[in-house]
Amino acid sequence: MADLQKLYDAILNGNFKAAREVTQQALSEGIDPSALVHDTMIPAMNEVGRRYEANEYFVPELLIAARAMKASLELIRPLLAEKGTEPVGRVVIGTVQGDLHDIGKNLVAAMLEGAGFEVVDLGVDVSPEKFVAAAREKNASIVALSALLTTTMHAMKAVVENLNTAGLHGKVKIIIGGAPVTQKYADEIGADGYSSNANAAVALARKLLAA
Amino acid sequence: MARRSNNKTNHPPAVTPRERWLALFAGERTDRIPTDYWATDEVTRRLFRDLGCTTIEELYSALHIDGIIPVEPPRTLAHFPGDPQADLWGLRRTSIDYGGGVYEEFANHPLAHMTCIEELDGYAWPSADDHDYEAYRAMLSQVPAHRLVRSCSFEPYLLYCALRGLELAMMDLIAEPEFAMAALKRIFDYHYDLAERTFAIGKGRVDVTYVAEDLGGQTALLMSLPQIRKFFLPNQKKMADLARSFGIHVFYHTDGAVRNVIPDLLNVTGIELLNPIQWRCPGMDREGLVRDFGSKVIFHGAMDNQQTLPFGSAADVHQEVLDNIEIFRSARWVCAPCHNLQPVTSTEKIVTMYDTIHKYGIQ
Repeated sequence: MADLQKLYDAILNGNFKAAREVTQQALSEGIDPSALVHDTMIPAMNEVGRRYEANEYFVPELLIAARAMKASLELIRPLLAEKGTEPVGRVVIGTVQGDLHDIGKNLVAAMLEGAGFEVVDLGVDVSPEKFVAAAREKNASIVALSALLTTTMHAMKAVVENLNTAGLHGKVKIIIGGAPVTQKYADEIGADGYSSNANAAVALARKLLAA
Repeated sequence: MARRSNNKTNHPPAVTPRERWLALFAGERTDRIPTDYWATDEVTRRLFRDLGCTTIEELYSALHIDGIIPVEPPRTLAHFPGDPQADLWGLRRTSIDYGGGVYEEFANHPLAHMTCIEELDGYAWPSADDHDYEAYRAMLSQVPAHRLVRSCSFEPYLLYCALRGLELAMMDLIAEPEFAMAALKRIFDYHYDLAERTFAIGKGRVDVTYVAEDLGGQTALLMSLPQIRKFFLPNQKKMADLARSFGIHVFYHTDGAVRNVIPDLLNVTGIELLNPIQWRCPGMDREGLVRDFGSKVIFHGAMDNQQTLPFGSAADVHQEVLDNIEIFRSARWVCAPCHNLQPVTSTEKIVTMYDTIHKYGIQ
């Protein structure tokens, strides 16, 4: 019988091969994929996030944990889709126009996925129009914007304005983050929230959906 | 913006910028707080236009900047073997236009596909032979005597991240440590050889060398202290020791919230100057840094380049200079922006920064 503690440990320690093996075994034994996500994987990623907040984990640890979590999710996702299991929420995420930096965005995406969100990653250098189209098409509950540079962060304002114009803002919450970004800036452009790191972004997304 | 006198016809000041820097490194009280300049090419071109300057020396004179002159041995290879688009490391770049300017990003990661150390042996690593040291000697002789000279830059993990791809390079520190170490050694070997030859020629004229690694993010270290101690510090120490053996000072750059690694940088690497002091980051409050490290290191930067300079007013910039003068009064500080000035920062604010430190930075 699959030892789910091993899956938990594999994610926590970033062992993607072990994560995949235990997941495969668990699924072949008929363990409910949804339970696997909620009872093992999300708690493991929560612990990864806690360790990151506590300065026990750093970016390399986050990345390998996310890789292990994704290896497991790849096996589970088709089964969840088959059963019509709804995610915690749908997030459209991307780095704004003119900005090609993506490690922060990728970490947020991975932590959100690890928390049970469905994440649609639009990549980097994403135009406001693309954000709006994806938010509409995917029926997103959250749009998450990333920027690294003081020279590109103002593209976030255009995305907020376009979502307003499209009548989507409100139904869709907008969260922003990135090195030069602040809560003050989020307030200025009318975003619904700001997060200073990937783990806090998960808490922010949960809070906004619960509101 | 009015054109400014750039002192082209004036005599050099009684204390030259180089003498000011060297006094600072010697731990002496300087006549005034030194200044330095970091900016994108777009900003420099705009300042030339707005201030009526045609050379960097004129700009430095106009704004009273104690700027450092970088001099490096030119490369003799035009490109990576077999790839006219790539630099000597095999890296290609692409220009990204963000509307107000352009920046470059790496367009390929030539080590990304590698899975074992043996593959590293097959890579065409650059050699210190691929530089023109006689040309370097001639370039050094052209630098005005009143300017500090910087030669050689050592930032191996940044290069490794470019060669491998950022995420893979980060994961390698845990998942593929032997591979990462082997690649970093090859990068180090090139830089050490290059620096040894360069310093031998520049001894007595080269004043500082640049050692760097971005160890901090916006809120914390990017990687753990044990990882930093294992992968980065030993080679940094060797580079710093080499520089010191030629009487060359060590300028150290790391962005971000790096409070927890400063003791190691001081005690292991042996840095003398820390740049850029992003004081809004957690743990980087200026008073705490002065209290804990003020007697051991020169603080370089501390003019906030994420909020004050780009988005504050000229009055905010003026006030931040005055605040820094006060906070760093018992320490050694070089007034400079935290990293490159960007086009979003107006000429007015840049001039305000340098005018304010010139007016109030007399000690």
